[in-house]
Amino acid sequence: MKQILYYGLLSLSLIGLNSCNGFLKEEPRSQISASQFYATPADATSAVNNLYKSGFPSFYDAGSAYMGPTVMYGGYISGLFDNQYKGQEKFVQDCQNLAIDPVVDNGNLLSIWQNCYVAIGRANNAIKYIPTTPDLSTAEASKLVSEARFFRALNYFHLVKMFGGVPLIVEPYEAIENLYIEKSSEADVYNLVVTDLISAIEQGGLTDAPMPKNGFRISKGSVSALLADVYLNISGYPLNAGKYAEAATVAKSLINNSAYSLIANGSTPEESAYNVLRTSDIQNEYLYVIEYNSTISNGGWRPTFCFPNEAATWGEFTYSISNNAYRPVAQILSAYDKTNDLRAQEKQYFHTKYTFTKGNRKGETITFSDVTPYFWFEPEALYSTNISQKDQTHYRLSEMYLIAAEAVAQTTGVNAESAGYLATIKARASMNKTKEEITTELLALTKDEFIKEVWKEKIRELIFENKIWNDITRTRMYPTTSNGVFTFVPIIGAQNPWGKTFAVKNLLLPFPNEEIQRNPKLIQNTGY
Amino acid sequence: MQKKQHFPDHQWSGFKKLLLVMKLTTFLLFLSVMGMAANTYAQGTRFDLNVKNATVIQVFDEIERVTEFGFLFKTDQMDLSKHYTLDIKDANIENILDEVLSKDQYSYNLIDKNIVITKVNVNTIQDEKSVKVSGKVTDQGGLPIPGATVVVKGTTTGVVTDSNGTYSLSNIPANATLQFSFVGMKTQDIKVGNQTVINVVIEESSIGIEEVVAVGYGVQRKSDLAGSVGIADADQILKYSSFSALQALKGKVAGVNIFTNSGNPSGNTRVIIRGVNSINTSSNPLYVVDGVQMSDFQFVNPNDIERVEVLKDASAAAIYGARGANGVILVTTKRGSGEGQGTTVSYNGWVSLGVLAKKVDLMDSNEFMQMQDIGFANFSKYSQSKNSAGLTVDRSDPLLFDAQGNPLYNTDWQDEATRDVISHNHQFSIQQQSKGSSVGAFLNYTDQEGIMLNSYMKRLNGKITYDADPTPWLSTGINLMVNHVWANDLDETGGGQTARRTMWEMPPIIPVRFPDGSWSNSQFTGNKLNVGLEAMSNPVHELTTRKMNRYKTKIFGNTSLTFHILEGLDFKTQMGLDANLNTDKNFSPNDLINISSPNGSANISTYDSYFWQEESFLTYMKVSNKHRINALAGMSWSQQTVATSNTGTVSGFATNFFGYDNLGAGTIPSAPSSDWNRWAMNSYFVRGSYTYNDKYLATVTARVDGSSRFGLNNHYGFFPSAALGWVISNENFLKDKSWLNSLKLHTSYGRTGSSEISVYSTLATINSGTVLMNGTRGASTYVDRLANPDLKWEKTDQFDFGFNLSMLDRRINLDLDYYYKLTSDLLLARPIPYITGFSSVIDNIGEVSNRGIDILLTTTNVKARNFTWESTVNINYNTNRIEKLGANNEDILTNPGFVGGNVILRVGESLSSFYGYRRLGIWGSSEAAEAAKVGAVPGQAKRSTEREILGKGLPNWTGSFINTFNYKNWDFTVDLQFVAGVDTWQLYMHSMEDRSGIANGFSTILYNGWTENNQNTMVQQIRQQNYSGQDSQADSHWVSDGSYIRGNLIQLGYTFDNNTLTRFGLKKLRGYASVSNAFLIDSKDFKGYDPEATSNNDQFGQNIFFYQYPRPRTFTFGVNLSF
Repeated sequence: MKQILYYGLLSLSLIGLNSCNGFLKEEPRSQISASQFYATPADATSAVNNLYKSGFPSFYDAGSAYMGPTVMYGGYISGLFDNQYKGQEKFVQDCQNLAIDPVVDNGNLLSIWQNCYVAIGRANNAIKYIPTTPDLSTAEASKLVSEARFFRALNYFHLVKMFGGVPLIVEPYEAIENLYIEKSSEADVYNLVVTDLISAIEQGGLTDAPMPKNGFRISKGSVSALLADVYLNISGYPLNAGKYAEAATVAKSLINNSAYSLIANGSTPEESAYNVLRTSDIQNEYLYVIEYNSTISNGGWRPTFCFPNEAATWGEFTYSISNNAYRPVAQILSAYDKTNDLRAQEKQYFHTKYTFTKGNRKGETITFSDVTPYFWFEPEALYSTNISQKDQTHYRLSEMYLIAAEAVAQTTGVNAESAGYLATIKARASMNKTKEEITTELLALTKDEFIKEVWKEKIRELIFENKIWNDITRTRMYPTTSNGVFTFVPIIGAQNPWGKTFAVKNLLLPFPNEEIQRNPKLIQNTGY
Repeated sequence: MQKKQHFPDHQWSGFKKLLLVMKLTTFLLFLSVMGMAANTYAQGTRFDLNVKNATVIQVFDEIERVTEFGFLFKTDQMDLSKHYTLDIKDANIENILDEVLSKDQYSYNLIDKNIVITKVNVNTIQDEKSVKVSGKVTDQGGLPIPGATVVVKGTTTGVVTDSNGTYSLSNIPANATLQFSFVGMKTQDIKVGNQTVINVVIEESSIGIEEVVAVGYGVQRKSDLAGSVGIADADQILKYSSFSALQALKGKVAGVNIFTNSGNPSGNTRVIIRGVNSINTSSNPLYVVDGVQMSDFQFVNPNDIERVEVLKDASAAAIYGARGANGVILVTTKRGSGEGQGTTVSYNGWVSLGVLAKKVDLMDSNEFMQMQDIGFANFSKYSQSKNSAGLTVDRSDPLLFDAQGNPLYNTDWQDEATRDVISHNHQFSIQQQSKGSSVGAFLNYTDQEGIMLNSYMKRLNGKITYDADPTPWLSTGINLMVNHVWANDLDETGGGQTARRTMWEMPPIIPVRFPDGSWSNSQFTGNKLNVGLEAMSNPVHELTTRKMNRYKTKIFGNTSLTFHILEGLDFKTQMGLDANLNTDKNFSPNDLINISSPNGSANISTYDSYFWQEESFLTYMKVSNKHRINALAGMSWSQQTVATSNTGTVSGFATNFFGYDNLGAGTIPSAPSSDWNRWAMNSYFVRGSYTYNDKYLATVTARVDGSSRFGLNNHYGFFPSAALGWVISNENFLKDKSWLNSLKLHTSYGRTGSSEISVYSTLATINSGTVLMNGTRGASTYVDRLANPDLKWEKTDQFDFGFNLSMLDRRINLDLDYYYKLTSDLLLARPIPYITGFSSVIDNIGEVSNRGIDILLTTTNVKARNFTWESTVNINYNTNRIEKLGANNEDILTNPGFVGGNVILRVGESLSSFYGYRRLGIWGSSEAAEAAKVGAVPGQAKRSTEREILGKGLPNWTGSFINTFNYKNWDFTVDLQFVAGVDTWQLYMHSMEDRSGIANGFSTILYNGWTENNQNTMVQQIRQQNYSGQDSQADSHWVSDGSYIRGNLIQLGYTFDNNTLTRFGLKKLRGYASVSNAFLIDSKDFKGYDPEATSNNDQFGQNIFFYQYPRPRTFTFGVNLSF
């Protein structure tokens, strides 16, 4: 008996020592190893799809009722937009006090920095591997690569506008090496942006159509809109690269393309172009939009930015919190001609009153303490579903008119062409003047007056579309009021509505402290 | 000591005999200890004795009836046929015994009130030359051994030593050999020769009554242990009548810190042994139950536990290698044996009443309205809006106010959301031991109700064990446990307006239900109250309609075969499994505002894990002369697979009828998810222990672990340890010190590991999901991490030095250990520049140290005949320090990231350090200009400009002070538990004090808030948040000292004596009543229920919390019964 036992033990230990080789091998089932990816055309498409919601596009997601989404930071930094909950949102206070600090505001700074680089990294990956994906046609590959280039450019453009020169990463990271990179010059960053966009336009084979009519994929129009904006920006500070002609050319390529058109006003105030913009997701005016819907990707708390915070207690809305999170201050509102500008009328871009729809206050109308955006008013979300579905426009054809107006004026002066572009936009918003009348008025302006009128019109037209800080930094002019009259003053030395004076350092954000700690080669921006 | 116990009726004589044979010496030892009091009773007591025709036993019974004497004898040595008729007056005991016992046949020994009778065998000595010998028997420490047996070898002639260890034998032959024996000691033979005085020192024998300790893959004698092992037994654990064994372990073992972070029955308990080792990986110890590694230990039935050993130092824990760095908790569960031969049936049960232990001071309706009025009056100071100036509180809503504008209601939401609860626990066990086999069956039902409405946890647990020795060379064992737990949980994390928050913040002016029967909330339709209340569902509504059901089924068991190959050499192979099938079902109705209105939400998720292990090992034990060897070598395979699935949160329910039972009724589904992963380990281990002459001890262990979780380049890790011990008290120079019972110095050094990284961390993987593309889901993928094929385990090097001291007749026992642990190669999400597109890569970077002292002091303060008082003090002092981080020692900010407050990881600081602004005071009227520079006005908080470290959530001092008093059959326990050198961050101060007007808050805002006349305060001025904003940043004003002293348990018990019990056929009966969480003494700055809490379940978040589930005070009545 004992012999059996010994042999048993011996064989058992032999089994043990020669244990199966695969026992300690990792074989994930619910994740794919990176080395197995880019194996099919579908892999390539899905990698590019991801970019539609990574980095800059995600800055439109309104995840909190208290803090505006990241795309609104420019407005806060300008001091021209206030947030009712700023008592608990220190970043808004620091913006208004011109006291943004790389340590204190690290988290908010990172939300820009980190997410842009995440998207850039993913775009780099797509740009590198899509061309070699098996079974992917060259045409399809170049289209996908062009989309990826658009997103890489979009994120770099935002980074360079907010932070100035940043490290330029054009290859995907695939190993723990080469981690510490110095920042490149702003010119180098813009070079990459322009190169990517030109490549996308020229080799992309992209459809020339409004984005909503291109299956909500990046179209040639989207790329052109971004490129026009980039040319406009590099023509101003700090590069002063003199690309107004190029900006004009690209903007005009859209204006003159019948695939794109401005929304026309309807017959009632509810059908104005601005209310169509608020309610409609599919228009020929839309060049680049961020898509939202109810089940897959909703817009979060955005509709609640249309009401002061006491509105949450009225029992009117499905949302439990409301916050006037992006309130334009008085001096920027003074850009509007309150009597003649359609956009400044009640229930166009703004509202100041609310009439109760139910309960024992039904029919009662109250007036808000402050002017409040109407731009994101979504009745269905507010009254029944609690789910915001409205797409957000980042580039519209109307902005191209304004870019063209300014770029043409900069290159060929105030003339019928430049005045015409500006007048088109002004006329749509004018309650008592024709385009011709406006053109005539504009032709009487000096070049400087005309360009400032473009800037002013840009504020009026795109007040809730987050252009303000880009325009302030490229023009280095600050919108303010002098004796109650709207005007522009040089940003350096200008006072914001909170009594703080801009210095040169305030034109750029500091790099987040965490990144400075992580990357010893990254030198902090001057003044921080 | 009850004499009856030793003089049962005739029918129990067999039992009496057994008792005598088995336990005489032990009993005498005990008697002699009791006999420390003067032995004057025998001399002083005189009495009458009157019996007719009685046997000797009846005579003794009569003596015992009229006196306090008791007798010990062997029934088979007594002449039971002889009958006595006696009538003796005023005699002492010696007179009577001389009368009854024939002097030439019996000798007797008086020890206190106990009389030991021995038969003298006259026949064997009658022809020899007789001598008289006397002497003293002592142990190696020089202490007398009472009750040692001294017999003339080869005869039955002998005596036992008295309480002084002395003996005297007369009429023995000169050529005789005396044999000295005592249980647990080596028997010694000494020739009489010419000696008349023979003093004997007897030594401990290799096997005996000595306590043995489980050490992982086997046991060791406690005296041979050179490592550091803490012990708690079933009695200690069961005293606490708790649902969870972990809660009952709290304060029982020095260095084992157990954080009960919630009063929720299904709340988490956190165990940290000797400080937090790790930054990124779990700090939970490894649980090994009956040799099998177990997850989710907190749901195990504490009634099943026989004993718990905690392996604290490297020597003890290194046998578990890569999983041992956080310490190992070895649990031995009950089996069939243990209660002696035969069948024992036991019932342990308790019923308890739980009540809310404390209420916090909130504003009542009048105070709330007063605060609103002040807030409205301060509009113009804070508000930029013109329209709000001059506005007053609208008191016209007839649902809330009477015609005069006085509130109709004054709801106490703390009362409304909580309840007094009855919980109960029942444990039945049947244990049967017969020759060669034993079987045990255990059944438990526990129903624990939570004091917040509708929260509960229930458990049904069955366990069966069978052990058999079918052949001389084989022992087998099997153990199977099935445990099902079901619970209704509630939301304990996050910052949302859920019950634990709204039970404070819901304004008292709102009723639970309106007169029409509808549930209230803070934003009911048509509400005219213009204060702008934040959206809150009422907590009663939420708690009674929301479901967070948890179902957990655990199947756990093992079988083992032990082959006895040679004397001392065993081969054991054991297969174990731990299967956990968990399902969570959540439903939140469509009328809970700010939670799930208007769409409702439901989801079902499952988490199924299957773990198996196979371990085989050889053990060799050899005792020869002065050498004792205990060796082990083995190997192990284990694997766990985890499969999870989640339906995704479905919403859009038109009705609340379906709950989570018809997810298809929801119109808004979200993407479902599932996941699968597996890890495996393959290990080889050895241990050798050697003891020389009971003085010098050495233990060496080593384990090689291969883990699938480690990188390709580092599959195998090596974890060695060594320990040395020196029993100084056995050295000659200390042997004679009568005050010293034992003194052992021990030290160890070794390495353990932590492999608790998530699976597949070494690989770069593609994350797949969907994004919105043209109104539909488009596939979306991205690379979610950088690969790191060099990834390996964390290693903890630990040094331990300590001593075990026992002195003054073992009435003072002190165990003290100093330890230093350095954990390096931390599995850290190593921060890398964000420009890479990643924020971190899992890498082995960084170091954390823990150093401290464990003290366990047990003393017997009073030891009288009927009364004993024993105390246990156990203390752990620990300091935790981050030594290195990342590549450049970068700070890492982690949760909660709430209004400027984070936990910071910074080199030189403790883990769980709070990072925020310092509140310097409140801006005064005279500081208006200075305040304006930072955009503030007088009445607002004045804070530091930069954030700094404000405190830490991990305590320096933890411990307990447990006193047990025994008086006759009564026992009384007072268990105090304390924590010191720790802070608590009360994040709820954000909305309870710094923000006012939109919810209820602490009354401090009203009474201590800044006003022109009260400028020397830390509380900001009342401002109506809705109109005038707020100034709320996580700052030092929210930090309070987190130290506390808790009346953990006060218990009174009564144990019925055996004699009474046997009449009813019972073996054991004890009843008790106790109060747990009887009182809590904490900092005056702490405003919540209990300073020990967390809102995060990660290890950074200790003592940082937003709101908390209150811990109840519990009154328990229980009974332990066996027959």
